Amino acid sequence: MKMKMKKYIIVSLLTFGALVTYSCSDDDTVATEEEGSNPTFDRGVMLANWADNIIVPAFTDFGTKTSALEDATQIFVDNPTTVNLESLQNSWFNAYISFQNVSLFDVGKAEQINYRNRLNAYPTSVSKIDSYVENESVNFALPASFDAQGFPALDYLLYGLGETNEEILGFYTTHTKADSYKTLLNGVSQTIHSLTEEVITSWTGPFRDSFVTNTASSVNGSVDKMTNDFIYYYEKSLRAGKVGIPAGIFSNDPLPQNVEALYKSDISKELLLASIETTRNFFNGEHFDGTTAGIGFKDYLDFLNSIKGGDDLSVLINQQFNLAEEKAKTLNDNFTIQIGNDNSKMLETYNELQRNVVFIKVDMLQALSIDVDYVDADGD
Amino acid sequence: MKKLFLYPLALTSFLFFSCDDDDDIIQVTQNEIETPTEYVFERDGESTVSFSGQTTRLQMAEEMIPAFFDPSSSTIESLNAMYAHEEGASNFSDDALNSSGKNIKSKVATSIDFFASNTVESAQIQQDFEDFIAGQVNEVFPAWDSLAEPGVPGQIAEGSTPRYVSAKGLEYDQAFVKGLLGAMMTDQMLSNYFSTAVLDAGQNIENNTNEVKDDGKPYTTMEHKWDEAYGYIFGNAPDAANPLATVGEDDNYLNKYLGRQAGDPDFEEVPQNVFNAFALGRAAIVAKDYELRDEQAEIIRKEISEMIGIRAVYYLQIAKIQFNNDNIGAALHDLSEGYGFIYSLRFTRNPDTNAPNFSSEEVDGYLAEMLESSPNGLWDISFETLDELSNTIAARFNFTVEEANND
Repeated sequence: MKMKMKKYIIVSLLTFGALVTYSCSDDDTVATEEEGSNPTFDRGVMLANWADNIIVPAFTDFGTKTSALEDATQIFVDNPTTVNLESLQNSWFNAYISFQNVSLFDVGKAEQINYRNRLNAYPTSVSKIDSYVENESVNFALPASFDAQGFPALDYLLYGLGETNEEILGFYTTHTKADSYKTLLNGVSQTIHSLTEEVITSWTGPFRDSFVTNTASSVNGSVDKMTNDFIYYYEKSLRAGKVGIPAGIFSNDPLPQNVEALYKSDISKELLLASIETTRNFFNGEHFDGTTAGIGFKDYLDFLNSIKGGDDLSVLINQQFNLAEEKAKTLNDNFTIQIGNDNSKMLETYNELQRNVVFIKVDMLQALSIDVDYVDADGD
Repeated sequence: MKKLFLYPLALTSFLFFSCDDDDDIIQVTQNEIETPTEYVFERDGESTVSFSGQTTRLQMAEEMIPAFFDPSSSTIESLNAMYAHEEGASNFSDDALNSSGKNIKSKVATSIDFFASNTVESAQIQQDFEDFIAGQVNEVFPAWDSLAEPGVPGQIAEGSTPRYVSAKGLEYDQAFVKGLLGAMMTDQMLSNYFSTAVLDAGQNIENNTNEVKDDGKPYTTMEHKWDEAYGYIFGNAPDAANPLATVGEDDNYLNKYLGRQAGDPDFEEVPQNVFNAFALGRAAIVAKDYELRDEQAEIIRKEISEMIGIRAVYYLQIAKIQFNNDNIGAALHDLSEGYGFIYSLRFTRNPDTNAPNFSSEEVDGYLAEMLESSPNGLWDISFETLDELSNTIAARFNFTVEEANND
């Protein structure tokens, strides 16, 4: 810890003017300050806020949505009517929006079981789903099935099988493989819920304490790990997955087939906005219930007096979140339409999101003395 | 990597020096040869550039990759038949490949410098690739639809991508592909077509000097040999005259990793250096300046050899980060890449000694350490082993583990 404090001071001296003034006016006591009386940021308080006021409530709330989704699926499978289909579609939508509140928390059990990849790998593989129906067999635990389960698979099964609900209903009633469709649908919903239960059970067990007490500043410390997860999520799932990849940032041409919720199609923007809100709230330490501002990255940066170009870094990051959100709000609800009509708006949104990658991944990590612990996948 | 950047500087000062030295006719001649910006060479209005055989082999190698992931139709026989294709056999989706008389196997570990009198080892290396095929079919295919774990083959997730590994955690497809880029592409390029035993064979110098062309062809034999080396790295580029425009995207072998070099600030000039050396070397052949030609071959030998060393170290180091994050699937994938690149080290070439940078015995030792130093091979390989291998490999080259690692 002492080494860490020294590092802060060195970084501060090099990077920010503010602490220089502080140390100059206090020449005699610098040593003692360093030795221990200097106030330290209590990482444990931040970790407890994350766990108790954000992560666990978000998962618990999401769990009620996945439970409702499982129930609505069972009701539809038992009695495939238009009304029950609509009710199921509604449950799917509620759960999918709620998923945006928890997707970011890829630590512990969630990380172990590939939670995010199993709930939201898109585009979903229609050919795999079709073959599961055809063969009447599937093993959702196999990585090869990750892009044929979760919310994107339900998106296809609930919206993509036909043009109208009447056509879609036919797959669960008159189709020769109707039973197989129903079994698969049930399996996907049950898997979403049971994986979510696993994660919740872990958080309500001993994992919560081990997470909160692991205050070490090292690659395996909870703050370092969660910070990396936060940045990874922001960079890969939010910025790239929801906007950059479909807008064609990483390819020669736009890939409208890669939007989130391709078949429901008019909720891509809502999913994006929910995700931006989650990341911003987490940055600020905002409680899940939205009533209280707890301790988060914002407070940590303010404690360290992190300045960039004369402005508080935490203010810059919040401003940038707002700019990105404002830009995202101008998009069409349906990103496929937005990309087809005017992709430049997608690119502008991407640019605003990208600006915060610099603030968070470079400036914030430097200020917090945290190393990036992940590497870009090869893509092969 | 500082030495790399000194190349242009050294060349410049050399040029200035020779400019002042009016008596030295040979060096003045060198000064007049400029590095072409495009790989375009013509005689009487006709292109003299040809490497269709290399393009064919690159495309055959490309088609082998998806076949490694097709347990429902690939067999040992079908994969071996792709590897050792016979003219007319329907091994590929592309009929032009089927009708070709060329194949991969006959160019594996067969360079004139390293293997002409070393046929026992050559045969063993050719066999290794058949062993990778057999491993995939016999060990991994039966476990295709089950989860892998230490000591058990099957699939494991890297993010949302399934990876298919052996009981020891090795992806045989990675061993095959990353091994082949050494055993065929690198070996042929650096130690066959750049060999003076090939470039200067028979009457090649005399014929090239007098512009005596091959029977019915627009090129001299020497020009063609040089182009064949070029084809092993740029032969699948859509515009082979300007291959840097798409470098990294044109095949999954040397081209891909030459492109990777551009993404690392420590090595970003390498693709341009390699292209320039190919273009200047070819211009030197046209200008009958064989000394300049050989200097360019040396540059490419050094760069390609180093590139393989860098990738080997990079993947071993990155795997540690993946293990630390419990991304076991990603770690095994990186180690499998590393395994293939280590395999390829024996085909790299030390320009000072003209010998491989690593002996076969050394490479075999490293590979054994990868798979045998722990109970379950790559699954539980120690960080000490990874660091020790990384340091040993980097020490033979002109880069540090740190430089290779911060891609």
